[in-house]
Amino acid sequence: MKDSLRGVLDAALSTGGDFAEIFLEDNRTHAIQLLGGHVETVNSNRAHGAGIRVFHGLNAVYAYTNDTDPQGLLRCARQAASAVADGGSVQTAPPLVSPQLPAPFVCLQHPSDVAGKRKVEYLRQADAAARAVSAEIEQVSCSLSDSEQEVTIVNSEGLYVEDTRIRLRMACVAIASDGKEKQQGHEAPGALMGYELFADRVDPTQVGRDAAQTAVTMLHAPECPAGVMPVVIDNGFGGVIFHEACGHSLEATSVAFGMSVFCDKLGQKIAADCVTAIDDGTLSNEWGSLRVDDEGMPTNRLVLIENGILNNYMIDKLNAKRMKMPPTGSGRRQSYALAPTSRMRNTYIAAGNDDEAAMIATMGDGLYAKKLGGGSVDPATGIFNFAVSEGYLVKDGKIVSPVRGASLIGKGADILLQIDRVGRDMKMAQGMCGSISGSIPVNVGQPMIRVKQMTVGGRV
Amino acid sequence: MQNKSVNDTAAVSAALSGVKPMIMDDFIRKLFKEARAAGFAVAEAYLTENESFTAVAMNQEITQYSSHVTRGLGFRGLYGGHMGYSSTEAFDDDAVNWLVQGAMDSATLCEDPTKPFIYDGTEPVAQMNLTGKDAPAEEKLAFALEMERQAKAYDPRVTQVGHNTVFTGNVRVRIVNTYDMDKQYAESVCGAYLQPIARDGESTATGMEIRFERDFSALNAEQLAREAAKLAVDALNASPVPSGSYRVVIQNLAMTDLLGVFSGAFSAESAQKELSLLKGKLGQAIAADCVTIVDDPLREDGFASRPFDAEGVPSARHTVVEHGVFKTFLHNLKTAHKDGVPSTGNASKLGYATSVFVSPTNFYIEPGDKPFDAMLADMGDGLVITEVEGLHAGANAISGDFSLLSKGYTVRNGKRERPVEQVTVAGNFFEMMKNVRTVGSDLRFPSGGIGSPSLDVGTLSVAGKAEE
Repeated sequence: MKDSLRGVLDAALSTGGDFAEIFLEDNRTHAIQLLGGHVETVNSNRAHGAGIRVFHGLNAVYAYTNDTDPQGLLRCARQAASAVADGGSVQTAPPLVSPQLPAPFVCLQHPSDVAGKRKVEYLRQADAAARAVSAEIEQVSCSLSDSEQEVTIVNSEGLYVEDTRIRLRMACVAIASDGKEKQQGHEAPGALMGYELFADRVDPTQVGRDAAQTAVTMLHAPECPAGVMPVVIDNGFGGVIFHEACGHSLEATSVAFGMSVFCDKLGQKIAADCVTAIDDGTLSNEWGSLRVDDEGMPTNRLVLIENGILNNYMIDKLNAKRMKMPPTGSGRRQSYALAPTSRMRNTYIAAGNDDEAAMIATMGDGLYAKKLGGGSVDPATGIFNFAVSEGYLVKDGKIVSPVRGASLIGKGADILLQIDRVGRDMKMAQGMCGSISGSIPVNVGQPMIRVKQMTVGGRV
Repeated sequence: MQNKSVNDTAAVSAALSGVKPMIMDDFIRKLFKEARAAGFAVAEAYLTENESFTAVAMNQEITQYSSHVTRGLGFRGLYGGHMGYSSTEAFDDDAVNWLVQGAMDSATLCEDPTKPFIYDGTEPVAQMNLTGKDAPAEEKLAFALEMERQAKAYDPRVTQVGHNTVFTGNVRVRIVNTYDMDKQYAESVCGAYLQPIARDGESTATGMEIRFERDFSALNAEQLAREAAKLAVDALNASPVPSGSYRVVIQNLAMTDLLGVFSGAFSAESAQKELSLLKGKLGQAIAADCVTIVDDPLREDGFASRPFDAEGVPSARHTVVEHGVFKTFLHNLKTAHKDGVPSTGNASKLGYATSVFVSPTNFYIEPGDKPFDAMLADMGDGLVITEVEGLHAGANAISGDFSLLSKGYTVRNGKRERPVEQVTVAGNFFEMMKNVRTVGSDLRFPSGGIGSPSLDVGTLSVAGKAEE
């Protein structure tokens, strides 16, 4: 295997490329959806292929194929090489060597050892718990998906790395209706582990109950008033604010090309003193953790912002050359069909010292965003937006009413400086992050935080 | 690579077209034989074969260049009265077993009480020409470089061009089943997009344009780049408006995005699963008189066109909303049987791997006869929304509620006044469709099957800066 892959690397370098890499992947996924209390669909998919990347200076060629026979890989390598025509000296790959890697993440109950019927049982627990919350719960959709991704990553620096990533995630969407309107609640916990998830971290009953509770609360909530006001954002998925408002703009994908608002700001104050933010790929079995990134480099714990000062960017191998800085184990991709680039792993604002109850009690009139939905950002301008999936109106420091339909917008650079309280109880939640190298699992997280002023979208 | 070093790119095209043709007939025969032996009453294979080419240029260099050839097979079959699904991209010794065993496990667990179908129709389907003329790789690379040059040449304040991309792709779809159905079609697309970044003092603004065509030669680098650059430059020094109720025209591209998010409500599958507010509204007025919505897979200029759907059912044009009245849900065989109507041919799959679901094809609001400028003149004072962001989060496909970060400009006395950013526009899609005052004449299909002209939607809530 190593010899034939070395030959493929040589073919990829044969037209003058200065670096070549092969990413081989076999990914078996199994997904079950329970809808309206019955198993609606069950799907077993097997993705299989290889992506070959060639660097030439600061530029990259990528080709991929499903045909992973030695001949298929050679054809793919030659295809990539054909786009590089340097005419200069041709390099060859050294013997491939497996480096010492961090210990693999433990998987105790492998997905293939768990019977389908037992998987369905977890879904039924969530479904029943959601329906038990209220007669207004009209529909419940629960899904469970596990995946086993086996990768082999080799490159012309002589690297040979094999890794297996086993992930499991449950999702529950509950819909409440009063006959005229519908509102939904959503929970989706997961981890980089097998079915021990349900013994260690996730109670399906709680998942169903939480989703349904949000749906029912929102069904009876009036529209959120629009305006500029102080906002308290709860822990857990609230961390998506940092992910969107700041995280994407710290990825080399935008920084290396001078397209981020945080370019040339290393060592400078970009956030309030109370803000320390971390991107950590090493956390035990977390959804966004990786033993090695998709370029074969062990992941690390990267302090992005320390007490308001920008310390690090997230950097992949190619942009490391462009930025003349070392890569940070942040090279990620959805699958062999996409070239890797700098991406987040588990990104969170670290715990601070402020009391959560006092944070709301002293905020005056504003919005308490208990749960956030997803969001997006334009890294060039830093303008972000996200949806508040469960929000409460605060008057004179007291929660007075749930509100629906709120969204939060602003500029990342402004919002980081506007954070004036950071709570003590940091919690993470799971999401799928979409960017140029596809959709990948990440954790977002934070303790409860308070932002002095934010634009809240809603009804006037 | 620098442009001059990419001189052997014809070889890439040759490599793409020269890949051994997919000889899958033997594999399918073996698969169906094993499926029958395992107890499947009916079995079906859905195959896709894809080729693509993508190049990204930045600072007059081709910074990314990628190409691929892939194939995949989705298998499904009736086993014990239930539909089982599985798929693979590997065609090794284990593949047939993986597919048959996976689909058996799937069907065994399945409890869906709705009767599943595999289509037994073998009638001929429409002959459609969905392929166009590609261009040599050198020409495509030159196009990407030209787009960047033209965007920067438009205005000195355009300092960078992000996502400056050109791409082409071909897909072949084939459905084969044990009812002797064997249908296929091929489709190709050429496209380009870019996001110029304009800077003026402290202000940064971006614009985004995208175009799909069948023939590469129909793409115009200069025109596309200038349009995108104009969007960025025009948005410089934008600021929020005070929060309040505003008269609003939603421009065609933003309206296309909104229609896309809420198109799911027209699916019979959504309705049967209690996920659509349109359930029970057939025959009722759900939009203003001036609104007619069509689903037409047979338009050859659409990018969701096809002669038959993901179950092999022949395509047909359907008027979904006629002068405001809701005429039909979109169906596949399963949902149609449940509602006692014929399938509308809207069975869809994302690639080869997913289960069959229901989705629109070329789904659009029929254009009216009012030019865009005349719509602004009619509005007098108000806002034009040119772009909406964060649809996956800020728009609730089930309730119809949306609260979206938006860009646009103010209109005074029927004329464009100043650019607006960092505002959210909120409303309810279904309420909004009832309040549509005018449908513009400027229908566009920017990047796929969903299309819309600009709409004057009456009044919406806008959150911006604190009221003055």
